[in-house]
Amino acid sequence: MSSREKTVLTGNQGVARGFYEAGGLVAASYPGSPTVEILESIKEYKEIYSEFSTSEKVALEVAIGGSFAGVRSMASMKHVGVNIAADPLMTFTQTKTNGGFVLLSGDDPGMASSQNEQDNRVLGKFANMGILVPGDSQEAKDFTKTAFDISEQYHLPMMVNITSRVCHSRTPVVLGDRKEVNAKGFEKDVERYCMIPPHTHKLQHDMKNRIDKLKELAYESELNVLEEKEGTDTVVVTSGLVYHNLKELNPPVSIYKLGMVYPISQKRILELSKNYKKIIVIEELMPVIENEIKLMGVSCEGKNYFSFTGELNTETIEEGLVKAGVIEDRKTSDKSPEESVKRPPLFCAGCPHRPIFDILKKLRKRVIGDIGCYSMAMFEPFQASDSIISMGATLGITKGMSKANGLVGNSEPLVSVIGDGTMFHSGLPGFVNLLHQKNDAENLTFIILDNRTTAMTGGQPTAASGNYAKEDDMKVDIKTLLRAMGHENVYEVDQFDYEATKETIRTETNRSGISFIIAKRPCALKFKIQENTFYVNPNICIGCRNCIKTNCPPIRMKKYKNIEKLKSSIDPDMCVGCSVCAQVCPVDAIQPKGQHPDHSKKGSAKYKRQEHDMLPLNNE
Amino acid sequence: MDTVNILLGGVGGQGLVLTTDIICKAALKEGYDLKSNDVIGLAQRGGMVWGSVRFGEKVHSPNIPVGKTDFMLGLEPLEAQRWKHLLNEKSIVIVNSKEVHPTPSLLEKVEYPTDQIKEFYESYEHYVSDFSNDAKKLGNRKAANTILIGIMARFLPISVETWKKTLEENVPPKAIEVNMKAFDFGYNQFGKE
Repeated sequence: MSSREKTVLTGNQGVARGFYEAGGLVAASYPGSPTVEILESIKEYKEIYSEFSTSEKVALEVAIGGSFAGVRSMASMKHVGVNIAADPLMTFTQTKTNGGFVLLSGDDPGMASSQNEQDNRVLGKFANMGILVPGDSQEAKDFTKTAFDISEQYHLPMMVNITSRVCHSRTPVVLGDRKEVNAKGFEKDVERYCMIPPHTHKLQHDMKNRIDKLKELAYESELNVLEEKEGTDTVVVTSGLVYHNLKELNPPVSIYKLGMVYPISQKRILELSKNYKKIIVIEELMPVIENEIKLMGVSCEGKNYFSFTGELNTETIEEGLVKAGVIEDRKTSDKSPEESVKRPPLFCAGCPHRPIFDILKKLRKRVIGDIGCYSMAMFEPFQASDSIISMGATLGITKGMSKANGLVGNSEPLVSVIGDGTMFHSGLPGFVNLLHQKNDAENLTFIILDNRTTAMTGGQPTAASGNYAKEDDMKVDIKTLLRAMGHENVYEVDQFDYEATKETIRTETNRSGISFIIAKRPCALKFKIQENTFYVNPNICIGCRNCIKTNCPPIRMKKYKNIEKLKSSIDPDMCVGCSVCAQVCPVDAIQPKGQHPDHSKKGSAKYKRQEHDMLPLNNE
Repeated sequence: MDTVNILLGGVGGQGLVLTTDIICKAALKEGYDLKSNDVIGLAQRGGMVWGSVRFGEKVHSPNIPVGKTDFMLGLEPLEAQRWKHLLNEKSIVIVNSKEVHPTPSLLEKVEYPTDQIKEFYESYEHYVSDFSNDAKKLGNRKAANTILIGIMARFLPISVETWKKTLEENVPPKAIEVNMKAFDFGYNQFGKE
C-alpha cells in the first residue's frame, strides 16, 4: 500500500505497519491472542525476515540476535508469553542495545482469551525498559516507530504494551514510507555482550542512567500530552484506550495523557501537583502510574475509585469520577444484560479432539490438561480436563501428582493431554524429565493431540505441520522423537476409528507403566474433511443421545412429523462428515448421504480416511 | 451529524470480523472518523462473538454506550437478542433468523429461546429472515452477512457505490458477484416484493 494513504487498520496491523515503516528487519513471535495478527501482517512485507518461533523464549532470542547484528528487531507475544521469555529478557536488557529492539507485549484486561490478567507494565519496569502504551491504531503504528528511535538513541530495549481491545479495534491510520536503517553490524565486545560478573556490575548503573535520561525525554516528549481545561482544580493522568473512553465523557478536568508510562517525568508531575489540587490516575489493572507518582512523594488517587481488574469502559470511568467527586451526576447508564442462554465455545464440527474426550469421559479417567483448543474439554458435556495451568505444564504436574499419590498409597491412573504445538513450545523438557526416577508401577498415559497446527490462535504451523502441508518446513515426527528420548510404549491412533482408539486408550490406562498415544488426525478447520455429510434416519434412531453427548454443533434432538418422541438430527449445512456420531450410534441410525445404508455399519475401517484425502485449506 | 452506532452479534466462524472490517472501510471511504471493536480469541470456536462500529465526525471510544445502538446486525438470533440492553426504542434490528444452537440447548439443558427472540423483534423496527437461505439461492450461503449490510445501507449516509467498491475490494475475487447480488437483494429487494 502506498504511503500517506489513509486506511483502516487494527491495532495489531498498526504495530506491523510501524515495524515496516521503522525499517525493521527481523521479527519473531509465538502465536497467542491478542497479538497473533502482528506477525501475520508482518509476513506480508517481503523486506522483513519473520517467523513464528517454537516459543516466545525462542522468538525473543531471535530478536535479540537481530539486534546484536545491528538491525531493528522485534519480538511480539501475548502477556503470558513474556513469562516464558523472561529468562533471556532479564539478562539481555542489561546490555547496551545495538540495533533497535522492541518487545511488543499484548495484555488482556478482562481476560477475553487468557488464563490470567497480569499487567506487563510491571515486567517492563522490572526489566529496566522504557514502556510505550498506544490507545488506537495510529498510535500503535507511530509508537512502534518511536520506540525504535528511542531504543537506538538511548541504547535500551523498549516495551510497547498494548491491550487486547486496542489490538483488535480498527481506527483510521495515515500510512508513511519505510525508512531503511543501516545495519550497524556486530563488533566483538565481551563487556557489552557477555553477561557475567564483573561485566554486569557496571551495567546495573548503566541501566539506571538510561532510565534517568529517559525521564528527561519524558518531560519534553510529544508522546506525553497535557490537555489543559480552564477553571478546574483536577488533572487526570491516564494512557492508552482509557484516555479515549474518558474523552467520550467530555469531563471537566485537565488530562495528562501518557504515551510513555515508564519512566514518568518527576519534573512534570511536580509541576502538575503545584497547579492542580487533585491528581486522579485512571489506568487498567495494577496501580503502576499511581505508584510511580506516589514514589515521587506526590499524592494522587486512583485504585480507590477504579477497578484493579477488567477493562475500564466509559461507564465505569464515569462511575469512578462521581465517587472521586470530580463530576456530580452520571450521564451514561449501566444497564446490565438480561440473563440469556449462554454460548460457551465448543469443538468444531469434525474436530479430532471430540472422539478422544468422549472416550476419556466414558472411561472416567483423571485428566491433567494443558493449553490449546483441547482446554475446552473442561466444559460440559465432556468435563474431561481436570486442571489447566500453563503451556506444557501437564507433564510436570502429572508426574508430581503421580509421585505424591504413590507416597500415600494412591495408585489412581493419570491421563495427560497435550497438543503438538504446546509439546514443541515447552513440553519437551517435561517429556525428557519423565525418564528420571521412572517407576513402572505408576500408571501414566500421555495423549499427544497431534493436529499439525496451533489451532486455537487460527492455525499457525507447528514443528510437525510439515508432515502435512507443503508450505510448512518443519517435519518433526513425534513418535521418532519420543523413542529417541528413550521412551518405549509409543502408539499412534487414528481417532476417527473410534473403537480402535478406545481400545488403545483403555488398554494403556488399565496397565501400569508410562505410555504415549499419538492421536494423528489433523485440525478440521485447517485440513478439511472431504467426505459426504451424515444424516439421521429418525425411524431407526432410538433417542439414546450417544451422538448428542459428543456435542457436535450440527447435532441436536428434533421433533419429526408423525414421530412422537424426539429423535436426533444433523444440520447438513454444518456437518463435515467426520463419522464420529455414526460410530457412537448403537443402532446405525446415522448414515452418510448418497450411500446405501448397508455401507454405514459403525466401527469399521471404512470410516478411516487416507491422509491424501485431507487437503490444506489454502491449497483449495 | 451524530455518531452512528452499529452493533454486531454472532457465533464464532460466521464472518463477523470481515463484516466489521467492511463496514469500517466503507465509512472511511465516505470520509468519516470511525472506531470498531471485535472480540476474538477463545470465542472463535463456536462461542459468542460480538463487534461494534461507530462512525461520524469524531469518535473517541470504540465502545457503544449503553442504550445508544442505532443498528443491531444479528448474524444469529440468540446473539442479537443477547445485546438488547444496549438498544433503545428507535434501534433498527436486522437479523439472520437461521438458528445456531448453543451447547446448553444442544444438550437439552435449556430450550433455545425462540419465543423470547420473537418478542424481542416485535419491540423494534426489524428485518428478519433466513438470509443464509436467501444467500444460498443467490449462489453462496456465506454471503448472508452482505444481505444484512444491504438492508442497513438503506438507512446510512454511505453511497451504494462506496458499499459496492468496498465489498469488491474486501471479499475473495470469486465471491464478488454473489456479494453484489446479496447487497442488492438486501438494499432493493428484501421486504419490498
